Amino acid sequence: MSTTDRKWEALIDNLKVSRRDFVFTSLAAGALSLTPRFAGAQTAKPYKLGVLLPSTGTGANYVENAIKGIPLAVAEINAKGGFLGKHPIEIVYRDDQTKPDVGAREAKSIILNDKVQTIIGTYSSAVALAIEEITHEHKVLHIAATSNSSKITQDNYSPYTYQFCPDSNMQSGAVVVAVSKMVKKNNWKSYVSIGQDYEWGRDTHKGFTTELVKAAPQAKEIKQLWFKLGETDFTSYITAIMAAKPDFLFGAIAGKDSETFLQQAGQMGLFKRVPFPGGLISVTELRQLRKTLPRGIIGLARCPFFAHLKEPLMQKYIKMHRAKFGDDNYPDDWACMHYDAVYGLEQAINKAKSIETEAVVKALKGATLDTCRGKRTMRDCSNQLDVPSYVGEVWDSPDYPFPIYKPDTMIVVEGHDVWTPKCEDVEKLKKKRA
Amino acid sequence: MNADDNRGRSRLYAKYGLSGPAAVVLLFFFLLVPLLPGEFWTIVSTEILILGLFAMSFNLLYGYMGQISFGHAAFFGLGAYATAMVFTRFKTVGGEISTPDFLLSLLAGPPAAALGALIVGFFCVRLTGIYFAMLSLAFGELLFYIVFSWYSFTKGDDGIQGLLPPLFFQDAVHYYYLTLAIVIAALLVMWRITESPFGYIMRTLRDNQRRAAFLGINVRLHMLMNFVIAGAFAGLAGALWGPFSRSVSPGLLGWQESGIAVFMALIGGAGTFVGPLLGSVIYTLLQAVVTMFTTYWPLTIGTVILLIVLFVPGGVLGLIEQRIKSRRGQAANAGHEAASGTGKR
Amino acid sequence: MDLSAFTIQLFSGLSRAMVLFLLSAGLSLIFGVMNILNFAHATLWLAGGYVTYSMFDFMSGRFGASPWLLLPAILGATAVMTAAGFALERFLIRRTYDRELPEQLLLTFALVLIIGDLIKLVWGVENRRISLGIEPIEMLDTFVNPYHFVIIATGVAVAAGLWFFLHRTRFGKIVRAAVYSRSMVSALGIPIPAIYAGVFALGVGLAAFAGGVFLPLLPMSLGVDHDIIVQCFAVVVIGGFGSMLGTFVAAVIVGVVYSFSILFWPDGALAMVFLIVILVLIWRPWGLFGTELRS
Repeated sequence: MSTTDRKWEALIDNLKVSRRDFVFTSLAAGALSLTPRFAGAQTAKPYKLGVLLPSTGTGANYVENAIKGIPLAVAEINAKGGFLGKHPIEIVYRDDQTKPDVGAREAKSIILNDKVQTIIGTYSSAVALAIEEITHEHKVLHIAATSNSSKITQDNYSPYTYQFCPDSNMQSGAVVVAVSKMVKKNNWKSYVSIGQDYEWGRDTHKGFTTELVKAAPQAKEIKQLWFKLGETDFTSYITAIMAAKPDFLFGAIAGKDSETFLQQAGQMGLFKRVPFPGGLISVTELRQLRKTLPRGIIGLARCPFFAHLKEPLMQKYIKMHRAKFGDDNYPDDWACMHYDAVYGLEQAINKAKSIETEAVVKALKGATLDTCRGKRTMRDCSNQLDVPSYVGEVWDSPDYPFPIYKPDTMIVVEGHDVWTPKCEDVEKLKKKRA
Repeated sequence: MNADDNRGRSRLYAKYGLSGPAAVVLLFFFLLVPLLPGEFWTIVSTEILILGLFAMSFNLLYGYMGQISFGHAAFFGLGAYATAMVFTRFKTVGGEISTPDFLLSLLAGPPAAALGALIVGFFCVRLTGIYFAMLSLAFGELLFYIVFSWYSFTKGDDGIQGLLPPLFFQDAVHYYYLTLAIVIAALLVMWRITESPFGYIMRTLRDNQRRAAFLGINVRLHMLMNFVIAGAFAGLAGALWGPFSRSVSPGLLGWQESGIAVFMALIGGAGTFVGPLLGSVIYTLLQAVVTMFTTYWPLTIGTVILLIVLFVPGGVLGLIEQRIKSRRGQAANAGHEAASGTGKR
Repeated sequence: MDLSAFTIQLFSGLSRAMVLFLLSAGLSLIFGVMNILNFAHATLWLAGGYVTYSMFDFMSGRFGASPWLLLPAILGATAVMTAAGFALERFLIRRTYDRELPEQLLLTFALVLIIGDLIKLVWGVENRRISLGIEPIEMLDTFVNPYHFVIIATGVAVAAGLWFFLHRTRFGKIVRAAVYSRSMVSALGIPIPAIYAGVFALGVGLAAFAGGVFLPLLPMSLGVDHDIIVQCFAVVVIGGFGSMLGTFVAAVIVGVVYSFSILFWPDGALAMVFLIVILVLIWRPWGLFGTELRS
């Protein structure tokens, strides 16, 4: 087959993918849930699962795989007849447009209209906070699997909200573990911070600076740079960083902006001059920037598949994902976490032996769940899943068509080692909500 | 809707133009909404009312004064933030707020927005046409970036959450009737203003500024007054928005939000008094229904706007009115002259 | 601050300025001649970037990867989008010439929404990027991206080309005359509709060209246009509607001010830009280099 033919085929495939997206997103992913109708006689009330994720905005790039991952998990459960073997899952997908007011409106719409019992999703933490108000009021289970501001489970605590992603404090804590070692080793004295000017960026930065002062007080922050979400030209920021001549750079950048920043900073040689440890480099970046990502820089991940290759659930999921979406389409962090969220929900329902929300919420409290990341337990005081964060060096692997973290230097920081603040302080923060 | 059937309605039409019958129909519709099955439609209707008030406040500038503002959402947002901040101050540790405190916090919206409009308007009224549009857009964006960047005061992009009204108003129907009462009161005041000598000065300014100046009218002062009034009503709509949505965020001040008011006014009919409210009914209902089936909402609404601009200039209400007028073949009388223009510059 | 840091910040400001100029040139031209404020300009820019991506991708598959393929890809995308611009003018924009300003605004606003969603339909939500394998070069004790030289050179070249076109060609002179007096041009027997169609197509072509030029620096993604259009407006307003020189100077002002704000007052960088816009609009509503619009 000639190159042209192959290219055409790829083009056609590409079109198919977008058409499939169209089906997924517009005609409600419920199409997949039609499969379980085999057990017609036994089918009880369907379980409406709300999914709120953006299809535009800075997070869209991450969300693509999450939107693929959820129907996959749902189809698998539905093949067994649904939750408890008799409640087939119907997905109700809505686009939150990365806007808090749109998210709140869509949440109300699917709760009141479609009677969803659980809402999974949101990319932006600001949207998550807006949605939490609605789910709390309507007593609907809310599972956050990407938005990870610590406010979601602490300041704005709601008993109906469960967090499946390491929160911003845990992630910053993990970076501090790695960075403080490097600070001591390299005798670093100064750093510059750059962050996305919104809930998560601010929260991540705060977590990092407060913890680093304790762990490595000799490192001083000499400049803070905040940019608006969706910035397209980082040139002036990058030159400003280089002009400050810091010993290292801390970044709180995620989504599309992370890709733009890494690309432009790489082209401008920033990483040759200033080490950039602990910026978010998920499997998405590893795959998409496989050509341009500087090797050897230290990244932070939330749920990289290659860290848990021995877990049976992870093995199963990788196999499913690749079978469905193509051989080199490995699931990224966001897909895995959403997969975990759906499976966590199933386990809670099994434990409660009911799909009633109050029972499920109770079953999730302090539950130990089987996940892609092994057996993980919910933290009692904040409903935060005890999941690790991963800090590692970007490294070309012989096993994959894209770089991963170098296995022998990767640090896996357990959630319970870095979750802050202590439970009694979380209780104080929680008091705000009645 | 046939205005000829009924003498009462006919008189209403004679006096108020199509806005009369349309207002009566809309009022009936709005009073009966909570009887519809499902809390959802009550919530959608609340949104219709709030955004409708916002669009009508925009139309004070556009339909009556003939200037298009692309920064009107700034005042909507200022009202929302003022209410949210007062609300948060009043809240107890347990997150509750008493009914008087809640109503008081709603009152914070309009003055805050009016103050903002006074400052912005002072500069904007010096310009007209495209320059007015651009300056209002620039001020709107400036206010957006201030709210966005002033993290310690406004919480930046996080927004402010936890705006849960008192228990009684947590009920969607109760909040709906509260909104309806406030919006009706606001519309009555607005109607009085537009039908007052001041309102006719506005129409003069719309149709011919120079002539107005020759008549001895202080053009800038009157434009500024109207700008502040429009800002205050936008602020009132914003004040209602926060506790309705339970949270506020800086996006409420942005140019895309301003665009929504423009959409609504032009869909419904900017040349009529209640046109923007009808525009809100169409836009918001369409959004609630369309997003149930597809995430391609922008494509849908974009196509609708395109069709309206190309084939229904003057908006839905404007079109109906034109039809009636041409059928009757009668000249517009003074009573509904207000409803005749399509917002001449 | 030492001199080399200053120079580098100036350099990055100029690069940003040329980015803004390339983006705004078409917008300014369309407004100056046709009196239409095109909200969809940045969306057409985005579409141009996506088309360039697809052409580059296709040609890389056909002829083997090479950074030079970007050149034909950009030219191809510019041609495609120029044709699209011509069609847009012919079938949509033309119908609104005798309408009110808001209706024209609304029409282009609708195009923002429609074209944005069409891009999503065709290319999906995943970002699209190309990699030219750009390596930083060392300069003034620091590193710079060599592609920024390309951007600055392109910006200056386009500015010079537009100047030549507007001042030295027949069509350009007619276009310039149309900025001042539409009726006069029409009275001389020159078909105004043809001029308009040409100018609109040219403006869209410029936007698409800019989209292609930025592709190596910026992954194309949905929704960027919403942020960019407001900055374009800022540039056009400061420079003066319809003045190419004004647009160029304004782009330099905005780019450099933004760049140095980041150094000294990062939180206020964007607010600074709009402060300048407001000051200009109050002091000289028609912009630094513009002429007062005909009524």
